[in-house]
Amino acid sequence: MTVFLRAGGQLRAMIKPDVDHYTRKVEIEGGKTIGEILEHISLNPAFVALMYVDGAMKDLSYKPADGETITLQPPVSGG
Amino acid sequence: MPLSRFETERYQRQLMVDGWDQERLKRARVLVAGVGGLGGLSATYLAEAGVGYLRICDSDKVELSNLNRQILYTAADIGKPKAMLAAKRLYAQNPEIEIEAVLDTLTETNAGELASGCDLIVDGLDSHSGRLKLNKASFDLNIPYIYGAIREWMGQLSFFNPPKTACLACLMPGELKIPGPTPVFGALAAAVGSLQATLALKYLMTGEIPAANALLIFRADTIVFEKVTFERRPGCGVCGDAAPPGPRR
Repeated sequence: MTVFLRAGGQLRAMIKPDVDHYTRKVEIEGGKTIGEILEHISLNPAFVALMYVDGAMKDLSYKPADGETITLQPPVSGG
Repeated sequence: MPLSRFETERYQRQLMVDGWDQERLKRARVLVAGVGGLGGLSATYLAEAGVGYLRICDSDKVELSNLNRQILYTAADIGKPKAMLAAKRLYAQNPEIEIEAVLDTLTETNAGELASGCDLIVDGLDSHSGRLKLNKASFDLNIPYIYGAIREWMGQLSFFNPPKTACLACLMPGELKIPGPTPVFGALAAAVGSLQATLALKYLMTGEIPAANALLIFRADTIVFEKVTFERRPGCGVCGDAAPPGPRR
């Protein structure tokens, strides 16, 4: 299946975008969790503070459907 | 606590806003924790709006690198304590309100004391670890907490008040892995601080929780606002089943 990872900030370069400035397309076997998808692209989940799909927060155990976009939010902590 | 003639004139334009309750604002007490980029902005708008009592807490002194975003201070203030300067400037903006300056570092031990007696906590901190301490005090004392944070082109904010909502630790329970100093710029701090002040005013005047269980994310590089929903985490170590005994347990 195909899923899309989208990220900004310090995570953007880490996901190696190839669709547009913020997005990477990932081809992976169906039924994988977000955690497994991150492992597949060699991204340490410790760098991801939050993740969401279609405006709803998810965690590393979520299994995205074919075609879904997972937005990865880096730690945001300044003031 | 009726408004004086002077206050009625001062607040004339906002008194015309549908649903505005100036007398409730006058009775309100708010802790602004940190008066840097975010807190300096939110405190300014809360003061100008006429929130009756502001307790502002910051242990830092003004540094040159603060001046790209911290509008309460000038180059002449470098080396001086932010909380005292902020109190002086906010009072100059609105002498009708009471302002208490606390030159203290927020810790697990004093967070509750700092928030005690307030109706609301507004976050102007610059670290996630500090925010988790504020979140714990918010839960222990049942005082709602308006979270805000910025980095690079991203800003985010939310309103926490368990059990009506989740808490910050439901969403981000641990330390965040953040390399190096935080890249930030003034206009983004102003945008998020202003939104925090707006949420605060709405809550203080109505008791309604705006955007409950939602994280508002502002992507300033593309001028996009996103609203991401979430739920309380039953295993949360602050407001969930895994929490140790405390004042609210």
